[in-house]
Amino acid sequence: MRLTAKRRRAALAATAAALALTTTGCLGSSDDGGSGGSSGGGDDGEVEILATTDPLVFDGLKKKIEEEAEAAGINVNMQRVDNINQLILTRIQAGDPPDIAVIPQPGVIKQIVDRGEGVELTDDIVPADAIADMTPGTLEAGQIDGTQYGLMISMNVKSLVFNNKQAWDKAGYETPETLDDLAALTEQIKSDGGTPWCFGIESGTATGWPATDWFEDLIMRYGGADVYNQWITNEVKFDSDVVRQAADFFETNVLADDSVPGGRGSIASVAFGDAEDTMWDDDPGCWMLKQGNFIVSADFMPQDVVDNVDERVGVFGFPPAEAGGENPVMGGGDLATLLEDNEDSRAIMKILADVDLGTEAAPSSSFISPHTEFDTSLYPSETTRQIADVAYQADPFLFDGSDQMPGEVGAGSFWKEMTAWISEQQDLDTTLTKIDDSWPSS
Amino acid sequence: MTIKILNTLITVVVGVGAAVILYWVLNKIAELLPGRWEDRIKPFLYILPAYAALLFYLVYPAIQTFVFSFANATSTEWVGWDNYTSLLQSENFQDTLFNTLLWMIVVPVVVVALGLAMAVLADRLKPRWERMSKTIIFLPMAISAVGAGVVWGLIYNYRPEGREQIGLQNAIVTALGFDPVAWLQVTTLHINSFFLMMILMWAQVGFSMVLLSAAVKSVPEDTLEAARIDGADERSIFFRVVVPQIWGSVLTVYVTTLIGVMKIFDIVYVMTNGGFNTNVVGNEFFNQLFSNFNNGAAAAIVVMLMIATIPIMWYQVRNFRREELMA
Repeated sequence: MRLTAKRRRAALAATAAALALTTTGCLGSSDDGGSGGSSGGGDDGEVEILATTDPLVFDGLKKKIEEEAEAAGINVNMQRVDNINQLILTRIQAGDPPDIAVIPQPGVIKQIVDRGEGVELTDDIVPADAIADMTPGTLEAGQIDGTQYGLMISMNVKSLVFNNKQAWDKAGYETPETLDDLAALTEQIKSDGGTPWCFGIESGTATGWPATDWFEDLIMRYGGADVYNQWITNEVKFDSDVVRQAADFFETNVLADDSVPGGRGSIASVAFGDAEDTMWDDDPGCWMLKQGNFIVSADFMPQDVVDNVDERVGVFGFPPAEAGGENPVMGGGDLATLLEDNEDSRAIMKILADVDLGTEAAPSSSFISPHTEFDTSLYPSETTRQIADVAYQADPFLFDGSDQMPGEVGAGSFWKEMTAWISEQQDLDTTLTKIDDSWPSS
Repeated sequence: MTIKILNTLITVVVGVGAAVILYWVLNKIAELLPGRWEDRIKPFLYILPAYAALLFYLVYPAIQTFVFSFANATSTEWVGWDNYTSLLQSENFQDTLFNTLLWMIVVPVVVVALGLAMAVLADRLKPRWERMSKTIIFLPMAISAVGAGVVWGLIYNYRPEGREQIGLQNAIVTALGFDPVAWLQVTTLHINSFFLMMILMWAQVGFSMVLLSAAVKSVPEDTLEAARIDGADERSIFFRVVVPQIWGSVLTVYVTTLIGVMKIFDIVYVMTNGGFNTNVVGNEFFNQLFSNFNNGAAAAIVVMLMIATIPIMWYQVRNFRREELMA
């Protein structure tokens, strides 16, 4: 009797353990089955597209793509996912890539190409005349070692400076034409008793990234596009003259006393999205915000500012080093990559390359087309047109550098060491050396 | 959504069914054996799935991790001890180790001491008040570490001077006429690390209190009476009579908390992601694996952590066995 009771208990425990096991094991695989769908490539009349764009942009693009695809008799299964970087590599490893992936990071496209995947976008896939009007530099953003693998379908711009339009006009400040002008303007605002810059780099686990944007913009201006591209691959070190020059400008204008509300020590604790909160006061708490076009949204700005964006928000391009010289503009974009080469997916790539791809997305989202011939009247506001114009004037358009660096640096040491430097935990020399040291050896 | 629910249901039904069938088959196999052998073999057959699970989900990954720690970032080439040497030589990782050590020294001791103090003090209250105060102290346990991070994020929140402070600590500080402080950036004496430790302690003290309270209550009343009759004051009763009798529970709580602290990740990740010199080993592991995609370095960190945990686990298991024998 005693034995059986003991046995029963053992059996019960073992069953429970086995149960836990089998269920957890099954959950993992059933999840895969759910999201994988039945569209694992092939010429089956259905094209699977994965993208990670902003939801509103995604909805607009999806609508347009589905319309066009239906006209061509192709079934499109377009999904928005959050972690496309990991997902895409996992699915490639599993031998089940989507037909087309829209990826925001050139580094990930390089990883795809390194694994022997990705189809070169030759003329017969993306017609040359369809992309002849692309903003200079946007095609290069999708090239891996000179071969076109990614095609930019929507862009964002980061070389922008926002201000409180009404207060700005009242004070009579002028749009700076050069970096020297910008420095002079910073001084002028200070001498007028204002605080020139709104600046915060707190962003949870990604704290520090807004500072890297400053460095990228300054380095491409002081060094030019070639030096910038060498800097991204660490051929030009962080511990170099051009980076020091950038740091010097940044330190003199943004980190100096009275340059930002609360001073240098506050920068690392102020959320990047809260930095401009006081800019909208009648007597602005700070005057200029250097940030990407995504910031013009009720997620970051007060609702009444966004509702009256053309009256309230002023914007100009981050000025070039010299007037009339090279005018690089920094930003990002979503790059369509072809992973399964077949007739249907090629047809979809043509749709993606078309200048009219964004006609549905533009009026209702922050979408900016990389095509200079895009109908700008579709943009929802004058501000968006101005922002797009900054991008279209680019010579050239350069992709956000930290997105192209290895993860250790671009999403790691670059952020962290900048944060440590800005919050005065270490000097510039240490900062630059530490970032160089963190560069992966392989 | 319906598909997901259906999926879950099917999974559960199939899972339970499969387990039942598996045991039924194993049972049948055992019954095929002649009399005495059936009884001898059956326990092993029953325990087999559990052992197999341990092997597949614990031993195998552990070995794999160990192997990967000698390979490069993509686990495609051998690099010898490079992962270990480059980690241990990097100044940042040394800081990370030191911070983890600080956590290991401070948190378990404080958690046990506070938990014990609260258990003893609550024991003196009337039952109703005891229940209530214990519930309140235990509540934070129910909040996830990420949730706790959000709560404490509001306590430590900082805004530049002149703007309205929404952080509790800064609201107090500014009300007293001082300048607001960016708490999580104060690296002097690792104060910011201590602010992070506060969060874990806040969440863990309840757990410690509940276990120790049970232990305190199980101390036989007659031993206390005997001590009182012998003229011992309350202090020596506590330290010489109560504490020795609950020492086993104290150790258990200490070791459990210690192991938890060694693996701490979520709080640091949410609050600073290791910035301002608050990094700990768990967070560094996560960043190596998921931001740097460096399998080698991540595996090396895990192996070091594993080696550091083994003596504690061994001590704990031995302790546990000894107590079981005594009981």
